[in-house]
Amino acid sequence: MSDFIVNWLANVPAFALPYALAALGLIITEKAGVLSLGAEGFLLVGAMSGIGVLLGIGDHPALALVVAAFSAALLSLVYALLVVTLRVNQVIGGLALVFLAQGMTGVIATRAGWTNRPVDGLQPVPLGGLGEVPVLGPILFQHDILVFAAVPLVALVAHVLGRTMFGLRLRAVGDGPDAADAAGIGVAATRYGAIALGAALVGLAGGYLSVGVAKIWVEGMSGGRGWIAVALVIFARWQPWRALAGALLFGGIEALIPRIAAIGVALPQYLVLMTPYLATLAVMIWICLRHDGTSLEPRALGIAHMREERR
Amino acid sequence: MPEALPVPLLSAAPEPPRRGRLTVEIRQHATGWHQGLVLAGGLALGMALATAILLACGVGLSDLIQEFVVSVVSSPASLSAVLIQAAPLAIVGLAAAVAFRVRFWNIGIEGQMILGAVAATAVAIHDVGPAPLRLVLMMLVAALAGMAWVLAPALLKIRLGLNEVISTLLLNYVAFNGLLHLLYGAWRDPASSFPNSEQYEAAERLGELGWENLTWALPLAGLLTVLCWWLLNVSRFGFLSRVAEANPRLGEGQGLPMTRVMLAAALLSGGLAGIAGFSICAGVEYRMTQSFFSGYGFSGILIAFLARNNPLGAFVTAILVGVLFVAGQSLQVFYGIPGAMVQLIQAVIVISVAASDFFVRHRVRWVSGRRSDV
Repeated sequence: MSDFIVNWLANVPAFALPYALAALGLIITEKAGVLSLGAEGFLLVGAMSGIGVLLGIGDHPALALVVAAFSAALLSLVYALLVVTLRVNQVIGGLALVFLAQGMTGVIATRAGWTNRPVDGLQPVPLGGLGEVPVLGPILFQHDILVFAAVPLVALVAHVLGRTMFGLRLRAVGDGPDAADAAGIGVAATRYGAIALGAALVGLAGGYLSVGVAKIWVEGMSGGRGWIAVALVIFARWQPWRALAGALLFGGIEALIPRIAAIGVALPQYLVLMTPYLATLAVMIWICLRHDGTSLEPRALGIAHMREERR
Repeated sequence: MPEALPVPLLSAAPEPPRRGRLTVEIRQHATGWHQGLVLAGGLALGMALATAILLACGVGLSDLIQEFVVSVVSSPASLSAVLIQAAPLAIVGLAAAVAFRVRFWNIGIEGQMILGAVAATAVAIHDVGPAPLRLVLMMLVAALAGMAWVLAPALLKIRLGLNEVISTLLLNYVAFNGLLHLLYGAWRDPASSFPNSEQYEAAERLGELGWENLTWALPLAGLLTVLCWWLLNVSRFGFLSRVAEANPRLGEGQGLPMTRVMLAAALLSGGLAGIAGFSICAGVEYRMTQSFFSGYGFSGILIAFLARNNPLGAFVTAILVGVLFVAGQSLQVFYGIPGAMVQLIQAVIVISVAASDFFVRHRVRWVSGRRSDV
């Protein structure tokens, strides 16, 4: 039993990290008042371009992760153009972006021959004897660099959003774009920045999925994690630390599935695979039930801004 | 922030002449002509981009014209393939249009298709009911199963304000895993041991019309189209749905049953999606496969979006998307173009049309420069 728990806990970070990174990215975008339903698409683009670097350029996992973040940010400019400049409905724009990313990654990866080719990917940081310590070793010290970077990254995002001028402007744009505009903050520019920055983090999460966890590219491999991340942000009430807690919860559930199979408990596989989605739904219902009226949702979330009758 | 340079209150220097620039205003009303023109422009842009992508993938322009236009017009076999493909597309298009009309974002069409197909297949496998009524029964349970799958998201939205985009989407993954559970378990085809259901018997298949391979799925889609058109454009429900689309709070204030309208539209949407699942299994594949639904959810959204939630428009659009599907299959076979290309092209067209909509809702004008002394 203790082996089971150690194995499970040791696997939680790798499963939780994509959720944490994606949720952080979504928080940045949504704090600026832009709904981000495109997360599933950015995950796919990040995942595919990460593998593309490993297969096309060489075994450089760090470069792969950077490119993953960068390509998602690049694609997000299309989304920004749609919803910020052209004021397209953000639900339509986000869905269209997911479909675009699904089609694009499918076409590119198939033509480039990147599908189903295993890579070495990201390896654990060698910490010498620390990893050998019983119980604590596997749980705390046998991880790759991104897992160790996660907590500082959450702290950084929380600090930047909550305690810097940049974060204040970003939140102002998300809560009251008209007032922010009147105060001389460039609403459109801030939103473009928030969309690109957020997408970069989601793309990094996607890159981690392929380069760090699966170490392979399969079409549609994000498997709905982008949508779970969208729900996670609502659960976290747009707060980075709560998002980390939620990511650990969902990562914990997901990490449990292969562990149960590994110890030979015969559960109906496909019914077990429903649990992350059902758990997400259950959590969302729970949030709605204890809704106390003082929502922390950015007030202008999903609403395009326009200075009326500009002359 | 850099500090502003001190500027004297009354500047002696004249204000520099302003340069001309673009201004954007919200347009209150756009004429039908204007809307049509912009839509055509958006479509043209999308098709141009799609053509560019296909050319970049190494398909020649003459090959494209051959696949997308000539073969459809000249060969009855191709035309029938397009129409066979268009029937389920039209039904999912209606499913999306009905829901979007009341601003219920039903993204769970694929999940509802799966539930519908599962229910119909259950009737087929267990030979429920007398053979002459089997098909009707299959369609009925398919519709009910689709409705059941959308009921929870609809009620959760109405009662708790839970965002239906996420709930319907998550249920797609639940339904898909349920489908795999059946197809890799109890329902695996005993004849071939492939993860399909067993073949439907003759009484469980939509009959052929007698021209090429067309089946009754196409008239069924036509009938549902007319029904939805009547419902959305003529009936009292149609009027209520227009209020729900424009301003549900106003409707509520007038004592109109806005929540019931939303619930009804959501259920109708789920029921149509269930029938679409049934029509693919009983009209095209004659069994339930593990990917029969794939891509239809998105195409339904695309069709409703391009048709502006108009049922008749959805039927016509479905035929055009059917051309894309059929041409895509032949591009895949003969030119090695990945199957995902069909989705990429649809996404490019949606994005172009959505972007062009800006010029329906806004007036962009060039304001010429003014001199300050005027």
